[in-house]
Amino acid sequence: MQGIADLFQKYFSFSIIREILPFLLKGALLTVFFSATSEIIGIIIGLTTSVIRVTRIKVLSQLAVAYVDLFRGTPLLMQIIFVYYALPYLGINLPATVAGIVALSVNSGAYVSEIFRAGIESIDKGQTEAARSLGMSYMQAMRYVVIPQTIKRVLPPLTNEFVALIKDSSLLSVIAIAELMRTAKEMMTWKMNPSSLTAAAIIYLIITLPLTRYVSYMEKKLKKSEA
Amino acid sequence: MIKIVDLHKKFGHLHVLKGVNLEIKKGEVWVIIGPSGSGKSTLLRSINLLEEPTSGKIFFDDLEITSKKVNKDKVRQRIGMVFQSFNLFPHMNVLGNVTLALLKVLKMKPEKAKKIGVGLLTRVGLKDKIEAYPNQLSGGQKQRVAIARALAMNPDAMLFDEVTSALDPELVKEVLDVMKDLAKSGMTMLVVTHEMGFAKEVGSHVIFMDEGQIVEEGIASELFENPRHPRTKAFLDAVLY
Repeated sequence: MQGIADLFQKYFSFSIIREILPFLLKGALLTVFFSATSEIIGIIIGLTTSVIRVTRIKVLSQLAVAYVDLFRGTPLLMQIIFVYYALPYLGINLPATVAGIVALSVNSGAYVSEIFRAGIESIDKGQTEAARSLGMSYMQAMRYVVIPQTIKRVLPPLTNEFVALIKDSSLLSVIAIAELMRTAKEMMTWKMNPSSLTAAAIIYLIITLPLTRYVSYMEKKLKKSEA
Repeated sequence: MIKIVDLHKKFGHLHVLKGVNLEIKKGEVWVIIGPSGSGKSTLLRSINLLEEPTSGKIFFDDLEITSKKVNKDKVRQRIGMVFQSFNLFPHMNVLGNVTLALLKVLKMKPEKAKKIGVGLLTRVGLKDKIEAYPNQLSGGQKQRVAIARALAMNPDAMLFDEVTSALDPELVKEVLDVMKDLAKSGMTMLVVTHEMGFAKEVGSHVIFMDEGQIVEEGIASELFENPRHPRTKAFLDAVLY
């Protein structure tokens, strides 16, 4: 029984949580800001590179493949450190905020690229052929026929990716960005009590749960409409 | 209007078209028959440049459309195509399907495109379906929308690739009727089909293809009554009864 009491005192101290909550909420706001901004930029990067890849334009598509491989195949933590600490040696000095968004966007762009590529390739070839047979260019067929159908299909995996990005944005703490995770750790040191971590975990859940629920809902709806 | 000279197409080791020659004049309705895998569809798809010939030339009104310099999109605007699997755009309603190319390719004003679209859909008997989405239509209705969609670009010729093969038997007639009307209106047509009744009634010329070659071609009535080649005869005997 003593163990349980200690656990509560250490990890669920309401008095401490009440005191630090405003700081955590500020951190949560930054977390949402960084992940949402990066997701939007990531979608732009991912959509562009996926279209380049499916068109199989020689050099460009190989570059796009190399980009996706590189950023999916190495840890995000390492990418953040490189952008912030290594780029200055090339004369590129980015403030932490910008470096954080760059690293997250480029990383998420690689995953989004894969999602869109799979989405585009899942659209029946007859759709492109019908569009082309009407005299549309490849790009018009993509824009008006293939991509609109792709969007519906990629929404669930894209949202999953966004949830992952929200959690991964906690890695920005290594370049001193005071997002939710970093704030929680600072509060833990300050109060010498890890209840702030518990509170942060709950905040992460409050942000991500609606998204994951939305994905299951969308997947069910999609299954119905394509049955 | 369409002239094909020594057309070859290979898919890897598979030699699908082995030297096809053909000349089609304006207003003629050519029906292509033959067993599966004989290269009928590939021939049709080559004319619309959906397949790139391995060798040989295709001319459309004296323009060599197989030339590298030719703008394929411009050529396809003049040749309509209807597919076995409809390939309607599921994210747009019927009118949207028919007017998309008018709006995006010809940059036509929406009111004008709508007028053309409604006119064509009336012609194929689907005026009351303009707001419907493809998944709310029967196969026969889908195929009629696909025909209206291809006609929207006001093409000089129309290609039909086994357009009734995916339909339930009772829906075949409504599609064939639309095609008959189209033929009567003087449209140049190339039709790959297994509907021998249609071929006999509507076709001005018939081609029998087998193993990537034109085995026999001729005036529709003559070829059906008196096939010269034994392979044509065997095929007709097999499909007619």
